[in-house]
Amino acid sequence: MNEHRRQILEMLSAGKITADEAERLIAALEKSDAPASVGGASAPAKKAKYLRVLVDAEDGGDPHQGPVKVNIRVPMQLLRAGVRLAGLIPAQARDHVNQALHEKGIPFDINQIRPENLEDLVDQLNELTIDVDVNNKNGYGDEKVKVRVFCE
Amino acid sequence: MIPMVGVISVNHWPRSRSFRLWIPLFIVWILLLPLAILTLPLFLVVCLIARVNPLEAIATFWAILSGCRDTHIEINNRDALVLIRIL
Repeated sequence: MNEHRRQILEMLSAGKITADEAERLIAALEKSDAPASVGGASAPAKKAKYLRVLVDAEDGGDPHQGPVKVNIRVPMQLLRAGVRLAGLIPAQARDHVNQALHEKGIPFDINQIRPENLEDLVDQLNELTIDVDVNNKNGYGDEKVKVRVFCE
Repeated sequence: MIPMVGVISVNHWPRSRSFRLWIPLFIVWILLLPLAILTLPLFLVVCLIARVNPLEAIATFWAILSGCRDTHIEINNRDALVLIRIL
């Protein structure tokens, strides 16, 4: 972080930025530095335990449908086990799966799912957040669907 | 640890038409254990044919079973609330 501060000071001395701008940049640096220093540099990142899927659908006035809410919590352990299961699929079956995925337009190779890549995959999921907002018009009004996928 | 209890709850509106079913999964596991032992040779043969390490397959199956613990599925609409929990 000192390096960033030095760069700001060099820009200030070179006349590229004003003193006010430098002050603002340093303040921003300090702000971004604050959360890391509270937990301590050596504190391990908190591992997510669950994958959550929340769906909130409004009916848009349709008297036959009504609002629907779905709340799913899947333990990460189950995902880990699922990845391990993919490693047990025989080679012939994997080829069939890959072929079927390609036919559906999904360019994914199931051979890439390996137990040794498991932790990396789950770690990446920790920072996953997907928000989907859909607005459809039906005969009664606006139908709104909100889908949220995240880890906690 | 494998799940010991499953809960299925269905609440129809009004709430008088509701039920909650607690399934003691530990009893199910105890009942399935003799069956699992009986089918073990067949399982080993299938693993040999499919060229899968049987120990790894058992470990994965156990991991899936253990991973189901704490699963929570809740679906709520205008007519009913359905809740499935594995504890």
